[in-house]
Order: sequence, then C-alpha cells, then structure tokens
Amino acid sequence: MHRRASLALAGVFVVLGFLVVTSAQTTRVGLKAAEPRKAQLISLIQQRRSQVADLDQAVRQLRSDTVAAQHEATEQGQQDKEEARRVQQLSELAGTTALKGRGLVVKLSDSDKATSSVQNPGAYRIHDTDIQLVVNALFDAGAEAVSVNGSRLVATTPIRAAGGTIVVNFRPLTPPYTVNAIGADKNAFQKSDIVKRFGRWEKLFGLGFKVKAQTVTVPSYTGRVAISTAQPVGTGGSP
Amino acid sequence: MLALFGLIFGALLAILLRPTVPQDLSRYVAMAVVAAIDSALGGVRAHLERTFNDRVFVIAFVLNAAVAIFLVWIGDQLATGDALATGVVVVFGVRIFQNLAAVRRRVFGG
Repeated sequence: MHRRASLALAGVFVVLGFLVVTSAQTTRVGLKAAEPRKAQLISLIQQRRSQVADLDQAVRQLRSDTVAAQHEATEQGQQDKEEARRVQQLSELAGTTALKGRGLVVKLSDSDKATSSVQNPGAYRIHDTDIQLVVNALFDAGAEAVSVNGSRLVATTPIRAAGGTIVVNFRPLTPPYTVNAIGADKNAFQKSDIVKRFGRWEKLFGLGFKVKAQTVTVPSYTGRVAISTAQPVGTGGSP
Repeated sequence: MLALFGLIFGALLAILLRPTVPQDLSRYVAMAVVAAIDSALGGVRAHLERTFNDRVFVIAFVLNAAVAIFLVWIGDQLATGDALATGVVVVFGVRIFQNLAAVRRRVFGG
C-alpha cells in the first residue's frame, strides 16, 4: 500500500518535472523565436525610414519642379501674350479686324447732269479706275486701312468693273461710293493728281467728289483670307 | 525520496527529449504546471497525513490540470482576456501555499 502510494507520487512528480521543464523551454524557445522577428522588424523600420526619407526628397524635388514648371508656364503665358499681340497686329494688317482712327472719307458720285454729250457718256460716271486711283492716292497719303462702301481692301482685293458696275471684293457696289481711309493725310491726298483731276471733272461733268477729315471706321474683311497656292519664301532666300 | 527522484527523472527526460510545444499552447502548459504543482504538494501532504489514496491522487492530478486548462481555454473563448487564467492561478497559488503550510507543519511539527 505504502509502496504503491510512493510510486504514484513518484509518477506524478515525473510528470510535474517534465511539464515544468517543457514549459520553461517553450518560453525560452518563444523568446528566441521572437528575436529574429525583432531584428527583422528593426531592419524593416530602418528600411521604411530610408524610404520615407527618399520620398521626402522626391517630394522636395517635385515641389521645385512644380515651381520651375509654373515659372515656365508664366513665361509661356508671356510668350502667348506676345504671340497674341503679334496675331492682333497681323490681323490688323491682313484686314480681319475692324479698325477705327483719324482719317479721310472720300465720297464719289456720278454726275447728276443729264448725259447731254452722246459721244462720251462715260465721262459722267465714276469708273473702277477712278476708285483705283483714289485708293492708290489715299495709300500714298499714308492710309493704313481702306474700305470702299464698307468693303475692306486687303492684299487680294480687286477693284474692277463688271459691265457698268464697280466690283470690289467680288461684291458689286451701288453709287455713291464712299471710301474710308484711316491714317490718310488730307494735305498729302489733296496734292495727288487724281484729286486735281477730280477738281476739274467736278466742274466739267458734275461728278461728285467730297473729301472730309474725320474719325473713320473701317470694317473687317469678310471674305476668305486663306492663301492656298502662294507660299512664303524663306526670309533669307529671296531671289 | 522516490518522489524527488521522480521529479529529477522527469526534468532530465524533458531536457533530453527537448519536447516543443506550439506557442499557442504554451499558456495551457503553464497552467497545467501550476495545477500539477498544487496536486503534487497535495499528494505529499496527504502522504504525510496518512490519508493518501493513490487513485484519488492520480485522478485529482489529471482532473485539476484538465479543469485549469479548460478554464483558461474558456477564458480565451469568452474574450475575458487573462482574467479567468489569473483566477485559476490565484486559486492554485492559494492552495499551493496551504498545502505547503500543511506539509511544513507535518514535517517540523506544530
């Protein structure tokens, strides 16, 4: 009985010792297992820190890039403004914008005298060549923009006659003819041959011819401005 | 005397075999150890008081450990945290000291 009891007690103690040591070892193993993980985490933290530093650097770089790009954009805006101004100037020259300024208004009208002279009925009428000469004289007098009966004269504008009708920009005109010319000097215009001639014709045939200095408006050209065949010759390569 | 040899033998066995317990289960093993210490001391006490019953002792040993583990497990399942495990440790701790006191009285008289 006593012996059995001792054996049971001993058996229990064997289990007890076994358990204690196992538990202790497990704890130690767990701590050991945690160690490389700890090192791993430390290296991970360091790695992430350097990544964050890199990203900070990238952010700084991008910020300065942005500032530079903004500067560039501002400059570009300046260039655009200049370009827009150039376009404005060119369109003024090309005739695609309406213009206003001091200048001359020349009114030409057919004679209201009865065409008594059968031999030369054309002498009592305003012809396309009259308009051409007046316009040329106006340009000679410093005109910058000219319109005839509200039709703007551009580089490709023809002034011609179709039968008895004067055609400007392929648009037939009805008399009287009003020529607006911005920038034309009245004195210079009065000295031109055509004005002198009209002075005579006014008396001889009763043709209407009036010149008035005032602020005039020249409308924009409404036709097509695109040039399809002509090509600009290189600036350096003029023959 | 045989009990002491058993303790050393068990410890040596564990050192030589190097059994490993998964980390998840280590808490339960620790709890079983606490229960086992209590049972062992209870056994020693009963032995000294001459009221030792080997069957009761072995059953008590296994059952104490099993209930301790079960309570800890229940605590984990109920998400009481370490509260139930702490309770088990406290109860077994008190019992360990009680048994130890009884053994002391028996051995040194008093």
